[in-house]
Amino acid sequence: MRYGMSDPATMIAMKNMLVSAAIATWLSFSACVAAAAPDAQAILAASDAVRNPAKPFGVVITLIEYRNRQQTESNTLEVYSKADATGGQYRSLIRFVNPPRDTNKLMLKNGNDLWFFDPSSKASIRLSPQQRLLGQAANGDVLTVNLAKDYKGELLGDEDVTDGERVSRRCHRLRLVEASPDVTYHRIDMWVETASARPVKAQFYAESGRLLKTAYYRKFAPQLGVERPTEVVIIDGLDPGWVTVMRYSDYAWRDVPDAWLQRDYLPRFKPE
Amino acid sequence: MRQITATLCCTLFAAASVNAAPLPSDEPNDLDALAVADQPTATPESTQNWRVFGETALARSAWRSGATSASEGRLSLDLRYDRVIAPGLRTVLSDRLDLTRSDAAPRETNVNTLREAYLSWHARPDTIADIGRVNLRYGAAFGYNPTDFFKAGALRSIVSPDPASLRENRQGTVVIQGQQLWSASSLSATYSPRLGSSISDSTFALNFGATNPRDRWLLAGSHRFSEQFNPQILLYGGTGVSTQAGFNLSGLLNAATVGFLEVSAGKGKSLTAQALGTAEPERTQRRAALGLTYTTNFNLSLTAEIDHNSAAPNRTQWNAFTFGAPANALRLLGAAQSQQDLPVRRSLFFYAAWKDMALKNLDLSAFVRHDPQSDSRVQWIEARYHWNRAEVALQWEGYSGDSLSLYGSVPRAHRVDLLLRMFL
Repeated sequence: MRYGMSDPATMIAMKNMLVSAAIATWLSFSACVAAAAPDAQAILAASDAVRNPAKPFGVVITLIEYRNRQQTESNTLEVYSKADATGGQYRSLIRFVNPPRDTNKLMLKNGNDLWFFDPSSKASIRLSPQQRLLGQAANGDVLTVNLAKDYKGELLGDEDVTDGERVSRRCHRLRLVEASPDVTYHRIDMWVETASARPVKAQFYAESGRLLKTAYYRKFAPQLGVERPTEVVIIDGLDPGWVTVMRYSDYAWRDVPDAWLQRDYLPRFKPE
Repeated sequence: MRQITATLCCTLFAAASVNAAPLPSDEPNDLDALAVADQPTATPESTQNWRVFGETALARSAWRSGATSASEGRLSLDLRYDRVIAPGLRTVLSDRLDLTRSDAAPRETNVNTLREAYLSWHARPDTIADIGRVNLRYGAAFGYNPTDFFKAGALRSIVSPDPASLRENRQGTVVIQGQQLWSASSLSATYSPRLGSSISDSTFALNFGATNPRDRWLLAGSHRFSEQFNPQILLYGGTGVSTQAGFNLSGLLNAATVGFLEVSAGKGKSLTAQALGTAEPERTQRRAALGLTYTTNFNLSLTAEIDHNSAAPNRTQWNAFTFGAPANALRLLGAAQSQQDLPVRRSLFFYAAWKDMALKNLDLSAFVRHDPQSDSRVQWIEARYHWNRAEVALQWEGYSGDSLSLYGSVPRAHRVDLLLRMFL
């Protein structure tokens, strides 16, 4: 028995074959795209995990500010952070160590709550996100932040970028747009190394589109089990001679009870 | 076929990615900045348990009569020590010594203020007890704090009319208190015993007569219902003190603005009766402060606040109180200062703080308190430049209004202070 082109069984077989081929092609295409373009939010979350330890921790941050190559200010802070059990965003308690006039002053960030406490006057003052306590560094810069929780990421492509130690790195370029209204920056362009998910560079923008600052993440070192940046260099968007270096040291796991993270605990905070 | 399709897709996608990628961004400016950041710096300073500074100030005052002016010099030593001395046991000591010399009476004033001296026992991270002299301060407002119930009698040496200075340089109250915290709540109970009956001006007096003149108690509770709603409720009373209720609330209005409300209510005597020492039946008095703080994108914070005190005289009562007795105005101001109460029924308060104004490390602070009833004002402005361990400040304060007005009754028209502060 010969099967002709007009044979209905042959027609059905041909149709099934074409459908299968189309599905296979689509699946292959999808797999290819998925392999070449990983999810931006997943990249961002992986980058967050490089910067932020998963359990409650403490770290010392030293901010050194330069104007026209001259050091103009230095601040040292102790930061205690833990992720919120429900929202996943970090809650932080910050103690000012240096300069002497600010010793033992505190800042608390708990969601939208931002409080400043001065032990001399026992005054707990609610701050707005726009109130800066540390010169060029916004309060959000010194707080532990999971960007994946606050921003919607878009992968713009991969490119080579010079990192903070002048080494060329292959990076995903992400565009982050605010997903919650209380974030410090309206938009962030971020470069994350493709091989390691390390944050390499970020540019922070105002709602007007103006570049506010550029940050380089560098001097990666093993901290609490992961290679993390121990230095962030912040360059002002308008005045490139205005540079702030944030150095991270003395990482340690810390117990940060929920009771600490409220206004009425601030007069009590005195870690041993 | 599948392999060819997949390879083609990958190739096309990779090509598209390369085409979409911008050029590497290694701007010369960034490289210069990174070179600046490479400079070696000192290792981070460790946490200090103490803060000590010395301060010297020169002041010149002009009197309203215009007949004379006075010069003044001051030397101050300020210490704060705060240390965990054993697991769960913390000790706090805060003290200030002010030595003042003037060419007007009183020519010599030496005042030591023991602000705080207490032990704090953290039985658990969320259960804490204190004993000793504690600067207990409550309130959400800037210029007037109706719920700061232990503020009466707390001022011993006034070196500036700045509300921030008045909050800091004051004597605490001797208390026994306990606090219990939960994840979003706090409850504290305070007992302040009677330890003295008269105020002492001697240099090193502990001055319990001012801070602990009667048995008093305070309950304070707060709960964080949401990020925007975290009110604090207080109940205060004692021997010879009618129970007072207080409420504090502050919230974020937008990314640049914080609003706050502070109220208290309870029976009490009028301020005029307290100023003259006359007897009168207690009436329900209401005190309130409502305001907001707006911060510009260049870090200038502006606070506007409206204050209300039903215990202070209104316009009619003020006119009657000072008619034929202009010295009564000063008596009222004196009583208000001692109680840290608002001397006028309604007042407008504006405060500005500008960090790094025009020049790095140059901060500007200023306030104006306006009394609309008698159209008078007190105003203060300070420019402060700071280095890492030193500060220099120039301050000016002035009182304006006619001689029958509230602030116009102050004999001093204005005063200029130049001060230098050195941290050890």
